[in-house]
Amino acid sequence: MRPSMSRGVAGHGRGAFRAQNNAGRGGRGGGAFRAQNNAGRGLGVRGRGRGGGRGGANGRGGMRGGNKAVIIPHRHEGVFIAKSKDDALVTKSMVPGDSVYNEKRITVQNEDGAKVEYRVWNPFRSKLGAAIQEGIDNIWIAPGARVLYLGAASGTSVSHVSDIVGPTGVVYAVEFSQRSGRDLVNMAKKRANVIPIIEDARHPSKYRMLVGMVDVIFSDVAQPDQARILALNAAYFLKTGGHFVLSIKANCIDSTLPAGKVYDSEVDRLRADLLKPAEMVTLDRFERDHACVVGSYRVPKKQKTAA
Amino acid sequence: MTLYLLYETSSGYSLFQAGGLDEIGQNNEAVRNSVSDLNRFGKVVQLTAFLPFESALDALNQINSVSEGIMTDELRNFLELNLPKVKEGKKAKFSLGVAEPKIGSHIFEVTKIPCQSNDFVHEILRGVRLHFERFIKDLKPGDLEKAQLGLGHSYSRAKVKFNVNRVDNMVIQAIFLLDTLDKDVNSFAMRVREWYSWHFPELAKIVNDNYLYAKLAKFIDDKSKLSEDKLSELTDLLGDEDKAKEVVEAAKASMGQDLSPIDLINVQQFAQRVMDLSEYRKKLHEYLITKMNDIAPNLASLIGEMVGARLISHAGSLTNLAKCPSSTLQILGAEKALFRALKTRGNTPKYGLIFHSSFIGRASARNKGRMARYLANKCSIASRIDCFSENGTTVFGEKLREQVEERLDFYDKGVAPRKNIDVMKDAIERAENKDTDMETEEAPAVPSAKKSKKKKSKSDAAENGDHMAEDKPAVNGGASEDAKSEKKKKKDKRKLEQEQADENTNRTNGAHAEEDGLSKKKKKKSKDQDGEVLQDASDVKKKKKKSKGE
Repeated sequence: MRPSMSRGVAGHGRGAFRAQNNAGRGGRGGGAFRAQNNAGRGLGVRGRGRGGGRGGANGRGGMRGGNKAVIIPHRHEGVFIAKSKDDALVTKSMVPGDSVYNEKRITVQNEDGAKVEYRVWNPFRSKLGAAIQEGIDNIWIAPGARVLYLGAASGTSVSHVSDIVGPTGVVYAVEFSQRSGRDLVNMAKKRANVIPIIEDARHPSKYRMLVGMVDVIFSDVAQPDQARILALNAAYFLKTGGHFVLSIKANCIDSTLPAGKVYDSEVDRLRADLLKPAEMVTLDRFERDHACVVGSYRVPKKQKTAA
Repeated sequence: MTLYLLYETSSGYSLFQAGGLDEIGQNNEAVRNSVSDLNRFGKVVQLTAFLPFESALDALNQINSVSEGIMTDELRNFLELNLPKVKEGKKAKFSLGVAEPKIGSHIFEVTKIPCQSNDFVHEILRGVRLHFERFIKDLKPGDLEKAQLGLGHSYSRAKVKFNVNRVDNMVIQAIFLLDTLDKDVNSFAMRVREWYSWHFPELAKIVNDNYLYAKLAKFIDDKSKLSEDKLSELTDLLGDEDKAKEVVEAAKASMGQDLSPIDLINVQQFAQRVMDLSEYRKKLHEYLITKMNDIAPNLASLIGEMVGARLISHAGSLTNLAKCPSSTLQILGAEKALFRALKTRGNTPKYGLIFHSSFIGRASARNKGRMARYLANKCSIASRIDCFSENGTTVFGEKLREQVEERLDFYDKGVAPRKNIDVMKDAIERAENKDTDMETEEAPAVPSAKKSKKKKSKSDAAENGDHMAEDKPAVNGGASEDAKSEKKKKKDKRKLEQEQADENTNRTNGAHAEEDGLSKKKKKKSKDQDGEVLQDASDVKKKKKKSKGE
């Protein structure tokens, strides 16, 4: 198990990953999606990122042209792709009519006439969104999942995660900063499946009363000791066999080393804490020197599963 | 030896009994496997008691205490009711497993219930967390989430509402606004110049100051109406008769074009706006200074209110600044240069924000780095005193400032600075003298009484605000005596040293006496002002203390 995994994560340089990813996406028909995206407007995804202010008007445009936009499910459950002039990652809005961070909204009519609203997920503002765009194999965040989200900030990504898990899932959103925590609490007021926790993620015992066992931990804390923070939280709240998604910002860990080395050392640190990395994608297209690692926690030994 | 487990949830406290776990063995791997299987886990761990919280408010109080590691009365009753009694003088036959050692030690201190918190306990608690809903029969699925949601919201709201650093936030906002205003006032003033120069281009050369220019632009209005009879008013505005005459002359021979009255009115209005804005900026500056003297008096008196406020805003709060090592403080504000240097393995920057204090500019080029280091040391000491001491005096900041001055002298002329320990002793003594003098003459000045001082002295001082002025000379007298005795001490110490050195020290001490006198005068002034705000200040301090206690 281990050698194959290490080939997956640490052995190859970043280039190898990219090659793998592209091949994977092509096979799934995602390659076409990308090509179209770039050719469609020239601006590509970035155009949306910059034009946030015009989002409202554009959204209405989307609504009028709603018949043109076709929503097809992404291979990650709960995530969709809106195919229109340019393709975009979208999630099905829990709270129709509400835009969390001025993102575009697309309303589509179902076969039975019911209107469904989707919110566009900007991969330049969300590392999870970027990881999906980069073709990560599995995010483990799916409808009905219980997610512990460390480093929730103002709750832009959290709102999409809350869309994905839907009313049957729960998102525990932990954020330390009080300033951005204010926005987080406001966002959570409208979404009943988000539980805001303003507390330091370094001390999971402080919020142990608020969090139950979870299926997935998503960690985006950008701290030098983020691997340790993840391990601490996993020990408290992540169920055996659960999964983690960790976003790494190389500059926050060591600004002197090249990013690739930082990723490798972080992956090694994870292994020491029973967190077993399975795959890694770099998010260089969206954020410089960022990567995203996915893995599982306390996986039973292979012989036992075989037996 | 039975093991009980305390498990806190958002809906209430629960107590579990873990029996027969010894048979499973202390091997973590084995425990892990048995924990994940409910059938096996349910056999070894049983629920003994469950205490639901009465209300949302109750739950909030409980979680606030639990997260700080404090046992509440409810928890104490719950534990004492449901656990076997511990007999006096006997070792208990059971122990209580808790999630966090801090609350465990508190429980043990108060109730003598032995507590433990280790990997083994954590493993079982993981199991309890996993299977909790099945242990409590009355709990419907989803109920726990509802409780978590409600409690999570109220807990987080409380965190935002009762921010410990809220006084610092005012300073941070003020300094940001001040910077923005500086920029804007400047660009607006340039706009006034440009605009009015179409009418009266010569004025811009004569009057350099932006504020004055705006004032004049408003006063002169139409330059053709400016004649000798307005000279006196013009002199009042400019504060200089020659310049006033110059302006009048220039107005007569101006090459500017005529503006229609409506254009002139617009120029005037805008000039008025600029004047208002720069007056507002002055007021804001005063506000910042009083705020800084409230929250960080020593830091402010060491490197000035503006630089001090910039440091606080850059660190995020006074507490964060106090936590910074002085090497970090030294290059605060030079992050870009620092990281560039780290990447290229070049030289790291010598100073960041503290460059704006005058000390570093006064040092010679090769001593700038040393000076920055020394100043950063003193700043971090001052910020720590401000952050953690309960009484706000500026004594330490002033002493630290003197030290920095001496260090400058040392690099400049080779004058040996005083020893740090002497200066600090002196500072402590003076801080105490001040307090005891304020407290009227009842309490004798005990040097070691530093700890026991005194919020009381503060409120006293606020009550007899008049006293302060009278007390002041006494303080001065005491201080000068101190200075004398200090001189003596120093002489004794240095008797063995060379004659030359002795002379040196005398000279420096003399210089100090002068400096002291100066700073005292300053202090007296500031004290008089303080008298008014002191009441507020002490209030704020008390609040701050409270929030620290939480």
